[in-house]
Amino acid sequence: MVLNADSHQTALALKGIRVLDFTWIHAGPSATRILSDQGAEVIKVESNNALSVVGGPASATARGLGQRHNWNAGKLSISLNMKTPQAVDIARRLVAVSDVVAENFSGRVMPSWGLDYDSIRAINPGIIMLSMSGFGRIGPWKDRVSYGQTLQAWSGFTQLTGFPDTDPSGPASAYSDAVGGMAGAQAVLLALIHRARTGRGQWLDVSQFESLSALLETLVLDMSANGPAAAMTRSGNRLPHGGGAPHGAYRCSGEDRWVAISVFSDDEWRAFVDAIGNPQWTEDQRFVTGEDRCRNADTLDSFVESWTMQHTAEDVMGLLQAVGVAAGVVQTGADLSRDPQLQERGFFRRVMDHQGEYRTIESAPYRLSRTPGNVTRGAPDFGSDLTYVLREVLGMSDDELADCAIAGAFD
Amino acid sequence: MTDPAEQSNSSQPQPLSGYRVLDLSGPMGVYCGKLMADMGADVIKVEPPGGDPTRDIGPFVGGQPGPGRSLYWLHFNTNKRSVTLDTGSPEGVSLLRRLALACAVLLETCPPGHMDSLGLGYESLAAESPGLVYSSITPFGQTGPYRDFKASDLVGFAMGGYMYVTGWPDTPPTRLWGSQAYHTASNRAYIAILLALYHRMMTGEGQYIDVSMQEAVAATTEHVNTTYNYTGEPAVRCGFRHGGQFIATWKCKDGYASITTNTQQAWDDLRAWMDRDGMAGDLRDEKYNDRFILRGENSDHIEGLIQRWALLHTREEITEFGQSNHHPWGPAATPEEILENEQLWARGFFSRVEPPDGGPSLVYPGAPYRLTESPWQLRRTAPAPGEHNAEVLCGILGLSPQEMERLSA
Repeated sequence: MVLNADSHQTALALKGIRVLDFTWIHAGPSATRILSDQGAEVIKVESNNALSVVGGPASATARGLGQRHNWNAGKLSISLNMKTPQAVDIARRLVAVSDVVAENFSGRVMPSWGLDYDSIRAINPGIIMLSMSGFGRIGPWKDRVSYGQTLQAWSGFTQLTGFPDTDPSGPASAYSDAVGGMAGAQAVLLALIHRARTGRGQWLDVSQFESLSALLETLVLDMSANGPAAAMTRSGNRLPHGGGAPHGAYRCSGEDRWVAISVFSDDEWRAFVDAIGNPQWTEDQRFVTGEDRCRNADTLDSFVESWTMQHTAEDVMGLLQAVGVAAGVVQTGADLSRDPQLQERGFFRRVMDHQGEYRTIESAPYRLSRTPGNVTRGAPDFGSDLTYVLREVLGMSDDELADCAIAGAFD
Repeated sequence: MTDPAEQSNSSQPQPLSGYRVLDLSGPMGVYCGKLMADMGADVIKVEPPGGDPTRDIGPFVGGQPGPGRSLYWLHFNTNKRSVTLDTGSPEGVSLLRRLALACAVLLETCPPGHMDSLGLGYESLAAESPGLVYSSITPFGQTGPYRDFKASDLVGFAMGGYMYVTGWPDTPPTRLWGSQAYHTASNRAYIAILLALYHRMMTGEGQYIDVSMQEAVAATTEHVNTTYNYTGEPAVRCGFRHGGQFIATWKCKDGYASITTNTQQAWDDLRAWMDRDGMAGDLRDEKYNDRFILRGENSDHIEGLIQRWALLHTREEITEFGQSNHHPWGPAATPEEILENEQLWARGFFSRVEPPDGGPSLVYPGAPYRLTESPWQLRRTAPAPGEHNAEVLCGILGLSPQEMERLSA
């Protein structure tokens, strides 16, 4: 089924939904960008005290600028100094006209502004409040602090990722923030569905520790069924269950170039052997059945690599894919930027920011035929939408705006 | 605050209750089906008459394969119902079509074009059921030059750009533990389905969803694309020293611990502690005051000092010191420690289920989020093959018991 990319279906699934977004850094903004892509009006509340944090409005590095745009494209920004009563009053008025309030501060911050869930619900009974935190807002660890890497360590991903004979490596980047962002967006969408059916809002307590722990597959089931001896250990690029050999990353010609290959069934093995030209070693008794190949995977891998080293990663992918064997280049950021598949599908998009510069962002990794979503601009500048939000959304007068400005509410 | 156990009261409504889902997915989408089922959807898993091939994936209860013993199956199919159908026969396909038309959502992971070839493509079904949300997850999407390429979890992880940066400079690129490319494809597909269901509630309209595992991974790497697109340099493998050494994990006395010096205070506190142990070397020197020094030319020297010092302390000492000073420090937990984690148990994340046949009780992981009014529930454990043939084929489609026997055996 091929979608018509030029269709005039421009409905936005979340048109009319307003999100008051206090989130910062990575997990929170990546959750609300998912909503903003689909037409929700996301109003970022930003503070002068956090200009240069990761994803902040004045990111100090080129990469930080990229993250600012990638996680905040399409949003509005207002600056509020929540130490002033005027700013708190504006925030409360925005709560009254919003569908969702999102935040990922430590547990003390929202209550200190009088914006805990009970207070917010008193202003707007149907409100959905998304609270994202490391360990959740209840439980004995509710006040513990974490970064993405702390959570990856605490949930077991660090210990389990890597090869048995080297230090564990853990996930390269903040997988937990990306996972938390997805869970946050899912929770909001579920709550919007629930609200549409029942009229009731609710509080969403998203613990990124749980979002990650939900991806541990059979880890705890296995230990509960089979005792602690069943605890899994690092297995590098091989699967601890389910077989497959060859199954790994193999060095190719060129500098630090690799191809990932996975062969499971006998049919795939025969196709693989044909594609690489039936070298003598493939007839070795050690590689006859899938079980043999898994048991002798170290030897098999060195033979496979002796072949891949003579080819480019791209050629290996092409040769093996032509016979239906799963193989793919271990792509770098540079490879992704010119990947013909991603190009054809328009995965990277160029959107204009407030200065008129084009910025590259990732698009949502799904195509919805009727509500494809729409990102037309980069991340906002700090406070760039203050006038629109206060005048048009809240209906404040010029005099009120001036009074608030004099009181320092926007500093 | 209410007790969490009290909040997962099974009488609370779930957001997706009342939505019926036809789950034709393989390993790439099985978690997506579980996410829907766990939030209340009636997810009907279709298996071939002998049972789904993923029932043979380990680990197994007692380490031995056998009916009902695959923990993979038990984990990924909670709250689903099972029907067995021979989808190789025209009658089976015709039943599948009738089932699809009785569902709000169809989830499939077949190669592009396969469902069309069965007469079960989106356009054909939508003509009769315009509200249908039809979600396809494939390795590379329904369009483009790689649309027919094959992929496993490993290949999806590689082509999405996450594998190249995972591992150490002197190891091969490395997969994440667990099938995280499949999980990510499922997580992204679930978001798209929820968006489509919301749109359907508002308008009655269904739609087609095309999810690419490669894109799902590429949108989940945090820094791979932004680093290249904004600096021109590809990100490289640096093990657990993410983003320079200031977000880092270290080998310590009894394992590994994460010591993130995300603030000046954290960096100063770390140096002061090292100094008290007589292990700070020259790190108290003024030239090391800026914590971003860890990214600079002295990083090898600093790394050596921190690593030598960290070996003096246990994970617990490091965690205790860090957390009591509000720094995000913590241990690399072992699997056994996860099973015993007090925060996860206190919040009701885990569910302990006693099996009917008196075997060991099983501990299931819970939901990635906590919705206080409409929570996650483990309503039923994963089904036996065809356990719900009568409920589904007779109850929903109105087959006679004799027809059911013939078509599902």
